Amino acid sequence: MTKTTRRTMLTGFSAGLLAMTALSGTAFAQSINLTYLVPSGADGVAIAEELVKTFEAANPDINIDIETRPGGSEGDNLIKTRLATGTMADIFRYNSGSLFQAINPAQFLVDMTNEPWQADVQASFKQVVTAPDGTVRGAPMGAAMGGGIYYNKAIYEELGLAVPTTWAEFMANNEKIKAAGKVAVIQTYGDTWTSQLFVLADYYNVSAKDGSFAGRYTAGEAKFGTDAAALRGFEKLQETFEAGFFNEDFGAAKYDDGIRMVATGEGAHYPMLTFATTAIASTYPENINDVGFFAQPGDEAELNGLTVWMPDGLYVPQTTPNLEAAMKFVAFAASVEGCEAQTRAGGASGPYLINGCSLPEDVPPAVSDMLPYFAEGGQNGPALEFLSPIKGPALEQITVEVGSGIRTAADGAALYDEDVRKQAQQLGLPGW
Amino acid sequence: MSFIRKYWLSAVAILVSVVVFLVPFAFIVLTAFKDPKQASLLDFSWPQGNYLWGNIVEVVTTRNWMLVTAFVNSSILTVASVALLVIFGAMVGFVLQRRKTRLNGLIEFLILAGLMIPPAVVPTIWLLQGIQLFGRLHGLILIEVAYGLPFTILLYRAFISTIPRELDEAAIIDGARPFDVFFKVILPLLWPVTVTNIVVQSVAIFNDFTNPLYYLPGNANATVQLTLYNFQSQFNTSYNLLFTNIVLITIPPLIVFLFFNRQIVAGMTAGAVKG
Repeated sequence: MTKTTRRTMLTGFSAGLLAMTALSGTAFAQSINLTYLVPSGADGVAIAEELVKTFEAANPDINIDIETRPGGSEGDNLIKTRLATGTMADIFRYNSGSLFQAINPAQFLVDMTNEPWQADVQASFKQVVTAPDGTVRGAPMGAAMGGGIYYNKAIYEELGLAVPTTWAEFMANNEKIKAAGKVAVIQTYGDTWTSQLFVLADYYNVSAKDGSFAGRYTAGEAKFGTDAAALRGFEKLQETFEAGFFNEDFGAAKYDDGIRMVATGEGAHYPMLTFATTAIASTYPENINDVGFFAQPGDEAELNGLTVWMPDGLYVPQTTPNLEAAMKFVAFAASVEGCEAQTRAGGASGPYLINGCSLPEDVPPAVSDMLPYFAEGGQNGPALEFLSPIKGPALEQITVEVGSGIRTAADGAALYDEDVRKQAQQLGLPGW
Repeated sequence: MSFIRKYWLSAVAILVSVVVFLVPFAFIVLTAFKDPKQASLLDFSWPQGNYLWGNIVEVVTTRNWMLVTAFVNSSILTVASVALLVIFGAMVGFVLQRRKTRLNGLIEFLILAGLMIPPAVVPTIWLLQGIQLFGRLHGLILIEVAYGLPFTILLYRAFISTIPRELDEAAIIDGARPFDVFFKVILPLLWPVTVTNIVVQSVAIFNDFTNPLYYLPGNANATVQLTLYNFQSQFNTSYNLLFTNIVLITIPPLIVFLFFNRQIVAGMTAGAVKG
């Protein structure tokens, strides 16, 4: 062995030793390991990764592992199972509103009522993560969504249409679009949940006329079938079907077809929740500026406002061994830096519910169209499912029937009231 | 003319199997070649350009090379569970078939109960936590063995009844101990039905989704079917990556099938003759 090789070996060895000590040094500093459970899907995971990265940079002693879970009812079962068996991750993201109530928050989740950051969380969000005993047990995660109608700006420009503020204007626009030989309203009953939008997104119009509807509905006094304002949602669905505004394959088309059609101008209107904006931005980036958004119009122009879906919550189970570190992460996610990290990762899909968070200038039009409803003088209100624990499980089947002309609006609303009654009885609500 | 009359049924059968098996597979492979936009159309079309390699790289490296971990975990899980299933299934089947006691009725009832009664998740997790096996791969192996055992035993018992008892007696007369009778005489004769068991159970365990989901939380414990959820959510699904992932995780079972193809058919018919 020559002298040089021996020297290189020696250098290499000492370099290796140095590297090892450096490595073990960082490993030593990251003494707390947390797990963070999020719903799967590229968009949600990207947001979680960016949040964790920014958080770890500020807190080198905490290391967070992201776990994913399926969404939908499989995910609901998993969350309940892991909570019941005490194996939940240290922090997890889950729906707010009625699904939050279903996981028995007072028994399983850490009370966050007195955390200092709660001062900056908007009251409208707090009410959807409040346990029955009056304690707040979650932090907002993600942006608020609006339920309303996506429209293709290119078609509007070509036909010289204006954004409607009343249902009559909306129908007149549809008439013109249909006369021009285009699809006026896109419906995608291949994914049955998409059929509910006309009914669910109409709730702002119901509450604008009758602010006490949610309370009376929960008490079993107000019904969709008998309340004229509430029945309008079903009637709107029936009217658009009977006018022949739908795309030809509305019975088989899927949600993915719907966002493609409204983005590329194959159809003019698509009633949907605004989370679709991120999907459009990732799949059809060159069409994103053609897509606008407006609230589902009611019967009077001055009562025009947006039905809002609250974002998910971030929760900490009581079984976590690292409570302090987990709460630190929740506080970070509910701060202005937290929403900036979310915007960096996923683009802005809507306003955040934390005071002081703002959106960048270059948001897609579908997002900036939403902002006036949240600004001063704008009107918005939460969807019914955040105000009342009852939502009938068969609504999507009923709206498919009404939207396909199998059942009339009045008949569908009456059937839905029957469906709701079963759930209210299951929940043991008084007055049913 | 007689040629057509003779073979038309076979031609129809081949055509049907092509439509049922090959067309969906071709759809998966084609979609794996596409870019996100074309893939989201979900139609049966020729890919515009070859994006396969980029898709594969993205699928494999997603979430810190999760797919590699998942392949290791799934392989260990499948091999270990199937090995235990074959040994225990054959042993129980042998004893049940050969030795008639008063307990046989009860044991058969328990086996059928294992087939018919659906397992409950939460009590199983409590049990696993009690014996410190929750969230560990060997815990899940035991669960897969428990769920697969009744079916395996039924197959073995039916097959062992076709093996003449004289073989055991001859071995015993020659001085074989009970274990020798089983391992040296009976087990080699069970090869056809063992292959059936290996194939049926390894496909089932490799493709299992719900059990790993509930009993094996954590990124380090991912199995291949769970990686599908990296690319799929309710509102935003990357179909090109999803289908690339499906292609990648379909390859191992496919290889198993190609290798054991002939034995599978033999084993199936061998087990089916006597009940």
